[in-house]
Amino acid sequence: MPRRALIAVAAAAALLIAIALSLAIGARAIDLGTVWQAITDLDPNDPEQLIVTDLRVSRTVIGILAGAALGIAGALMQSLTRNPFADPGLLGINAGASLAVVISLTLGITGFAAQVPFAFLGAAIAAVIVYAIGARGAAAGAPVRLALAGVALTALITSIINAVLLVDDATLDQYRLWVAGSLTGRDSDDVMALVPFVLVAIVVALIVAKPLEAVALGEDAARALGINITATRIAVIVTVTALAASATAAAGPLVFVGLAVPHLARALIGASLPWLLVVSGLGGAALVLVCDVIGRVVAPPGEIGVGITTAFIGGAIFAVMARRMKVVEL
Amino acid sequence: MRILRIGPLGITTHRRTFAVGLVMLATLAALLVFALAWGKADVTVLDSLKAAVGISVGSPGDFVVGQVRAPRAFTAILVGATLGLAGAILQSLTRNPLASPDFIGITAGASTGGVVTLWLGLSTSLWFTAAGAAIGALVTSALILALSWRRGIVPLRLILAGIGVGFVAQSFTQYLLTRMDVHDAGTALGWLVGSVTGRTWTHVTVAAVILAVIVPIVLWHGRALRTMEMGDDTAKALGISVGSSRIVLALCSVLLAAGATAITGPIGFIALVAPALALRLTRNAGVTLIPSALMGALLLLAADQLSQLMPATLQFPVGIFTAAIGAPYLLWLVWRASRGGPS
Repeated sequence: MPRRALIAVAAAAALLIAIALSLAIGARAIDLGTVWQAITDLDPNDPEQLIVTDLRVSRTVIGILAGAALGIAGALMQSLTRNPFADPGLLGINAGASLAVVISLTLGITGFAAQVPFAFLGAAIAAVIVYAIGARGAAAGAPVRLALAGVALTALITSIINAVLLVDDATLDQYRLWVAGSLTGRDSDDVMALVPFVLVAIVVALIVAKPLEAVALGEDAARALGINITATRIAVIVTVTALAASATAAAGPLVFVGLAVPHLARALIGASLPWLLVVSGLGGAALVLVCDVIGRVVAPPGEIGVGITTAFIGGAIFAVMARRMKVVEL
Repeated sequence: MRILRIGPLGITTHRRTFAVGLVMLATLAALLVFALAWGKADVTVLDSLKAAVGISVGSPGDFVVGQVRAPRAFTAILVGATLGLAGAILQSLTRNPLASPDFIGITAGASTGGVVTLWLGLSTSLWFTAAGAAIGALVTSALILALSWRRGIVPLRLILAGIGVGFVAQSFTQYLLTRMDVHDAGTALGWLVGSVTGRTWTHVTVAAVILAVIVPIVLWHGRALRTMEMGDDTAKALGISVGSSRIVLALCSVLLAAGATAITGPIGFIALVAPALALRLTRNAGVTLIPSALMGALLLLAADQLSQLMPATLQFPVGIFTAAIGAPYLLWLVWRASRGGPS
């Protein structure tokens, strides 16, 4: 088997292990035999099996959805901006989606289905701003500046969110659960409605991967290959926005998943974008699930939202990445 | 060019810098009078000035001005100056206008330290909070330095490592918030927004003591700072001990940022914007310390007055205003730099 396929299989295996952990570990540890039985042959009288089917399955699905979406969105953005620090969380796109959701909450719009278009709109606006600032990647020091632009945009959006929340207690109450990046705060049926949407976005991502790869090599080369550069870029931005908005609507704003996972995947796989997207999707899902499981066990009897654990682990990975970069790459 | 000399402390200024400094000082005084005299309670300008320095003028001036408006205004001035100075030192040391303690994790570390003191039940005294913030800021700074040190410091790598460490510190703060009881968590959240509301003379005293200790040290090394901007080799040739000056100045910047955070909570963007604005006004070649501090004081006091001018439902903490003004500026800076201008 070629090396890339082997790595993809390994990533899939990691995701399977993460899924097993996510189904088995929690306030009540459930052995894998019982988990298996709950999925294959449910005994409705067994409370442990009901915990698995009622709570942990939906939680795990939301984690996979958000993680895969962010991993793929990060890999796409990094290729589009030719910038290793492009991450929908770090660059404020998730924050933009959050702000739009907060605004929808203050307007009295509570249904998840009605919030998703808001999340999409907010993410799109933030994506356009960041792209306008970060796309001129040729100048020296561009990666750092893009990261700082993202931090600034996030700070601005966060302060606007705070301003809204300080005035509106009811919104604050709903928002603070959501922002901690919890996989449990959403009604599972609502979130399941996002699954086909994200799947379509992932398919589009895989389709634009080849043209995007050519554009990343240089505009002249892409033109010579007969690729419509503008159409490719627009398709990528729309896909990234859809993925980031879905992930944010489902799990709250998560940072660093879209940064750390593609970075690691690229180190293993090399430059091939389609393979990178596959491995980033699998790895992102595994990372979010593992972070969620860690959040369940480190602070008994309570839990820590997955947003906190991903920021902690991802921030550390980011700092180490910064250390390993060569001066010319900055 | 003129030289102000107070004993061994020599401050070299250009004529323009001196004039701009005087204008800023005058503006600050005018703004202070406005801050003391303006408000819901009717107090004449003269009475408010008297009340601010402790001369009794009878109700309501004694309480409203003496215990509410004056400590709030002086807190804003001193903390603003502290932030402006912290930013100026950091930007000069890293030779990068994007460096600011609030983005490279130092303020985040100070916040974590402050929340830890609250969590341990030590927030009874502001000095404990200040000590906690200082320890938090020093620990994160050491981490950032250790992570970015590779046969020397590259400023850009330092900034990146700082962003990462900042996120780690921030998520640790959020973790602590979930482990506290609800009352403490509410207190911590109120502090984490960054505000000068409800500050007392104790806050003013702590801020004044921090500035009084650190400013002389910074001015002492001011010449070294300016010379180092020209490059380490030039500085060495001029007899500056580059290594020790840099460490002392970096420590001062970290402690100033930590002190400011302890007193008002994290207030963003002042440390970023004040030195840049001061530079633009004075047209100096390098970062200027005293104009940056004055500009920081002006900005925070003005932002706080602006926040009080808003209608009652929109009276947000001043940290929200500084972000609303500062973030677009940073975005513009990045955008301009990416078009090939100076970074």
